[in-house]
Amino acid sequence: MNSLVLLVVLPLFAAFIIPVVAKFSPKLSLFTGPVVLCINLLLIMSAWIKVGSGSEAIFLGGFLPPVGIVFYIDHFSLLFSGLIAGMVLIVWPWDAKESRLYSLYMLLSAASFGLVLSADLFNLYVFYELLAVATYGIIAASPISKVPNSSATAASLRYLFISSAGSVMLLLGIAIIYTLTGTLNIAHLATMTTSLDGFAGLSAFALIAIGAGVKAEMFPVNSWVAEVYGTIPRQLSALLAGLVSKLAVILIIRMLLMVFQQQAAFDLLLVVGMLGVISGEMVAWRAKDMIRMLSFSSIAQLGLIFIAFSIAGSKGLWIGMALMLHHLLVKGGLFLMADRFAGHMGKLKGLAKHSPMAAAVFLVFVLSLLGVPPFPGFWIKLLLILNLAEQGGGLYHVAIATILLATVIETAYIFKFVRILYQKADADSTPINKNYSSSYTFAKLFALILLVSMLFVSPISNHLKDIANHSASPHIYINKILPTKQLGDRS
Amino acid sequence: MTFLDHLFIVVFISLIAISALRNLRIVDKLAPVLYGLILIMLVRMSSVAYGGDVYLSSVSLDLLDFKMHWQFTALSWYFAIITVVAALASAVFMSGDWGRQYREQGGNYGMLQLALIVNVFSMILLLGSGDLLSLFIGWEFVSWASFLMMVLSPTKLAKKSAVKYIVYAMTGAMALMVAIVMIYSVNNSLEFKQIGEVFTQMSTSSQLALVLLFFVAFAIKMGLLPFHLWQAIAYAETPGPGAAFLGAISSRMGMFTIVLVIVQFIGLGGLKQLGISFVNMQTLLAWVAALTTIIPTYIALQQHDAKRLLAWHGVGQGGYMLLGIIMFDSIGSAGGLMHVLNHASYQAALFMTVVAVMYRTGTSDLNKLGGLVTQMPLTFLVMLIGIIGLAGLPPMNGFVSKWLVYRSLLVNGQPLLFVAAVLGTLGTILSVYKLIHNTFLGQLRLEHQNVREVPWSMLVPMLGLSIIVFITGFMPGLILPWIASVQESVGLPVIAHHLGGIEYAKGGLDMIWVSGILFYGFGVGALIFYFLGGKSKRVHQYDNYAGGHFLTSDVRYHYSNNFYPGLMHLIGGWYRGSFKWLENSIVSVVSFFSIFFENIYRAKQPVMLLLIGVVLALFALYRNLGVGA
Amino acid sequence: MNALHLMAELIFMPLIAFIVGMMMVLMMRKIAARLQRRIGPPFFQPLYDIVKLYGKDTQISHGLIHDIGIIMAVGGYIGAEILLPVPGMEGIAAKGGVITLSYFLMIPSLGMALGVGQCANPNGSIGISRALTAMLAYDIPFILVVFGAAWHYQSTSLIGMIEYQQMHQWGIVEMPLLAIAGLFALQGMLGKQPFEIYIAPAEIATGPMVEMSGKYMGGLFVMQTFQLYTAGVLYASLFLGGGTSFLTLLPKAFLVVALPMSIAFMFPRYKTEDVIRILWKWPVMLALISLAFIL
Repeated sequence: MNSLVLLVVLPLFAAFIIPVVAKFSPKLSLFTGPVVLCINLLLIMSAWIKVGSGSEAIFLGGFLPPVGIVFYIDHFSLLFSGLIAGMVLIVWPWDAKESRLYSLYMLLSAASFGLVLSADLFNLYVFYELLAVATYGIIAASPISKVPNSSATAASLRYLFISSAGSVMLLLGIAIIYTLTGTLNIAHLATMTTSLDGFAGLSAFALIAIGAGVKAEMFPVNSWVAEVYGTIPRQLSALLAGLVSKLAVILIIRMLLMVFQQQAAFDLLLVVGMLGVISGEMVAWRAKDMIRMLSFSSIAQLGLIFIAFSIAGSKGLWIGMALMLHHLLVKGGLFLMADRFAGHMGKLKGLAKHSPMAAAVFLVFVLSLLGVPPFPGFWIKLLLILNLAEQGGGLYHVAIATILLATVIETAYIFKFVRILYQKADADSTPINKNYSSSYTFAKLFALILLVSMLFVSPISNHLKDIANHSASPHIYINKILPTKQLGDRS
Repeated sequence: MTFLDHLFIVVFISLIAISALRNLRIVDKLAPVLYGLILIMLVRMSSVAYGGDVYLSSVSLDLLDFKMHWQFTALSWYFAIITVVAALASAVFMSGDWGRQYREQGGNYGMLQLALIVNVFSMILLLGSGDLLSLFIGWEFVSWASFLMMVLSPTKLAKKSAVKYIVYAMTGAMALMVAIVMIYSVNNSLEFKQIGEVFTQMSTSSQLALVLLFFVAFAIKMGLLPFHLWQAIAYAETPGPGAAFLGAISSRMGMFTIVLVIVQFIGLGGLKQLGISFVNMQTLLAWVAALTTIIPTYIALQQHDAKRLLAWHGVGQGGYMLLGIIMFDSIGSAGGLMHVLNHASYQAALFMTVVAVMYRTGTSDLNKLGGLVTQMPLTFLVMLIGIIGLAGLPPMNGFVSKWLVYRSLLVNGQPLLFVAAVLGTLGTILSVYKLIHNTFLGQLRLEHQNVREVPWSMLVPMLGLSIIVFITGFMPGLILPWIASVQESVGLPVIAHHLGGIEYAKGGLDMIWVSGILFYGFGVGALIFYFLGGKSKRVHQYDNYAGGHFLTSDVRYHYSNNFYPGLMHLIGGWYRGSFKWLENSIVSVVSFFSIFFENIYRAKQPVMLLLIGVVLALFALYRNLGVGA
Repeated sequence: MNALHLMAELIFMPLIAFIVGMMMVLMMRKIAARLQRRIGPPFFQPLYDIVKLYGKDTQISHGLIHDIGIIMAVGGYIGAEILLPVPGMEGIAAKGGVITLSYFLMIPSLGMALGVGQCANPNGSIGISRALTAMLAYDIPFILVVFGAAWHYQSTSLIGMIEYQQMHQWGIVEMPLLAIAGLFALQGMLGKQPFEIYIAPAEIATGPMVEMSGKYMGGLFVMQTFQLYTAGVLYASLFLGGGTSFLTLLPKAFLVVALPMSIAFMFPRYKTEDVIRILWKWPVMLALISLAFIL
């Protein structure tokens, strides 16, 4: 089982040797990354089978928790590890000229794996920072096709500013927790939640949530989203919107589920989620080009995920996880498609005639996004709303109203766009980028996965529910990581 | 396997077959056969419409702890048979020359066929729903199916109105979803009968919210006030037979759900207890219905495009249906329910006549037509029968259902609603006369001198529908048993009927006699006319003079534009577009907020804000931790 | 009711209506003449007129619909007469009732409208547009009156209404305001001043009648006799207690028809929009006040 440490170590190692390898053989350096990722995928699969419905803790470095480094492995973390490997493979920059970029992607993967697996706050912070650094690097280094380079640099710089401010908040939150409890091991923290009750604990959570929220596109700290997604290559947008945002969300919910099971924390997430949903949809409604529309729609979807996590217990995790996976597929797919559809909306007239398949794939994505039966998005939305209604309390009802209002606005702008696709081409419309890359193929693959999952709604949902039940339980978590501490200690 | 399963299977196979073969010529002939087959499947189940047992589907789905199942009650069957007959007529209509012309003009004929079967499929699915979840899914399917049909028209306006429709439809779907969630959260069950049980357990404010949410959802589909703006243009712009089908039945799915949910489970008692003194939910809904009969009808009066005119009447006639059913008595509800069938029959026929005229002349602009009766006499006959039905004059079927509604308003002592209903009818008479006058009467244009009657593939469905319009008017007793079963199945008082009409103390109706006497009158009139007077001489229409001048064909003298100037002088000021204004202001509010949020996202220094937040948090913490330590 | 009886009714009810209607036409022309200090026509003048019109040499038909329009105009009224019970002859009044009857009264208007439309004369169409607008104007108070009466007598069958009045009091006593509103509507329905714009006898070239010659005009003349009779008898049945025999019914009916003619010359001719304005204001208001008392 210790082999899972390789998930982090292999990419990290690869990141360092790629520049050296590239000196000798650029071809080899190009393939190093994918090979590593494939190995990781295999590791993850074998671990998935081994772990079964249980979970494992891996103690590293010879120290036992709460002092030592711990990786916690269950289906939840393995699922997202798998997604990291798959997603990075899909967006792998095959046509990049520099080996630097391969290194950065490897660094990003290593950080992502670490972020998903780590079970103590210090390591989480370290991997989070590593992820941030890798992202800045990739954004700055990526070949920019459509926009002048300076604006990409500016966007990257602004992203750097806001992201580092977020990191400071995250660090501050961790510091407060340490001051209050004297430990950074999450399992250990979970045994002494009482000392985190009250204003200080809550503000620690708020700082962590908002700090990590920068990457998770959380409402007040997401102004970078449209700008950055608008300037970077679409594959990278797909990676950031689809995956990296989810990793930050995972950090937040780990804290929420294990440590901060308090109503105030849930309410905080609910409110920022609602604001994110409504603001995202409204701005997307006014957007004039597709990337901007998708960016703000992505903000709204993340808001929806936060709302889901504000449902206490395993149900929140269950629905939130389903929403995350769905969003990963849909928004990832849409950004991959956007590779062909860039620019002002008006120029896309006649696309449906030109390429009916692309229009159909697009429709599948947006219909699922809107929650139209029988697409998976419908079931998730239905579950979300039913469970919100069960929570009772005025704020949850406001959330339901917000979600449904947002859906109507979403319908309005998405179908305004669909209408453009199906209009007759005119002089303004630009011919679609014919030499599209593999990304369109992957978009089609995503749509296919979406359609197939339509048939297996029940099994998928049951499976996710099991995972959520297991992962959302602090008891199991504590038992695995700190076998000496008993439930009784958790007073 | 029950008959219902067979029905679903046949519909599904038809869907697959048509979508697979849609680009081949064979689909022309195949589609009517398939609809005929679906009709046979329905007829096999007809026992349900004569008081028989409900058909249950043996298929049920367990998805995510929700149990979905399907059933066919008398109500479902009644709406289904209307749907399938309308689809059959539309399919026959487009199978021949119309389809050829449509293809030649660049229309996507295969998609039109596909859209039609998708509509039928989704409607049958909705009508067969056995619980709230399958209802919701069917509901969404129907919305998207209509959307598919509407976007087929190539015009910009059509696409725009289709998008507008889907936004409205989504709003309705969301309202329905909230209502369903409200019910589910009480007893964790989505069975229909929960509606009634949960309703009695709720607080008054929740009850009000529930009824309003359901009503908003259904009213949007049906185009009731104040949600009527989407419908007319969207339907009118749909290509040919598609418009006939949508106009006939699509929006009546709203009526189906109103009967299914509001009438059956919330009921008169439930509606009456919501309100203060004499204003309660029933009165409110009745007035919504009354205003829906009036306002869209008078908007129709202003239209100069034949399809728009009919589509607006379609919206207006929905008001009669609701007005009848909301009275909750045996005759009123029978009238409301019967009007669904009646309206479907004459509306489909009328749309087809307009499409037929368009097929020959290329326009449906009432100011550009005229005098076609000599060229297209059978189409004229169909339109005449149709408008008599639409205006609700004897002996056509529209009269019967409207008579029932009037009678019910009379029995319930509702003079103002009664006047509102009559105002609607009179407006309809004015408007349909304008329709037939400007299309078929008056001066024949030079360019239409060589217009011929439409081919039989188009005439047969039109004539078939007008026969239905007449027969069900002459012998409403053919339909009334179905209505009675529906009433019984949803718990309404059951109407006493016979072949000619209804029995009711203090004044019933026997249409066989009434129509018989009318035709007797016409017969006597004809005898007097043809045998008592001198021989008349048929002259050409240009053998005519007015104002001391002979009229010739190069001078256009067809009186069509601004047909009712006197009336418009008086009521013209009322057409203020208040509802359009309302719609626009909602859009303005949304854009106001979206600009607001956009400005937030544009803020250049979010980092500074974050830092200020950090400092404030630290300060507060310092105070707090200091106290704690 | 045996078949023979019914057959007799089918023949005699319209026939009586026709004869009485002609007498009413005569009476109205006499009243008009007396008011204008003329002697007026002789007794058989209406019959002469009809015979003359039917017998004319020049009979211009503009097409089949032109003919059918006239047939519908006359036939609609013939049907209506059989729905309108008179002493000794109930026809099929029990099968339709007063709502059906008021709808039957719209059929002749529609028939005439179709016939005129086929003539392709713009002046005719203008006339029809006015006539239909006027129908919209007078039918609203009329329908309110019918509603009030039906509610008050708790029946939509004219037979029931008459029975009620025979047992209690005349409707005009119990519902005076409604009866006055009914008179207003009657004035409009008969197209007498001030509501005569669509008939406009002085301007025949710009009315619905412009293309009507010979028996077409004759048909409309016959229709007018039926119209007067229907209006008179209907009003008498609604408000004046109907009659147990023709001797008691007919004087009432004649009185009802005489009234609009007698006051007609006091008024000018109103424009179409003014017709609507007045008919939707005063009689509607009266009827609503009266309904407030009845309900």
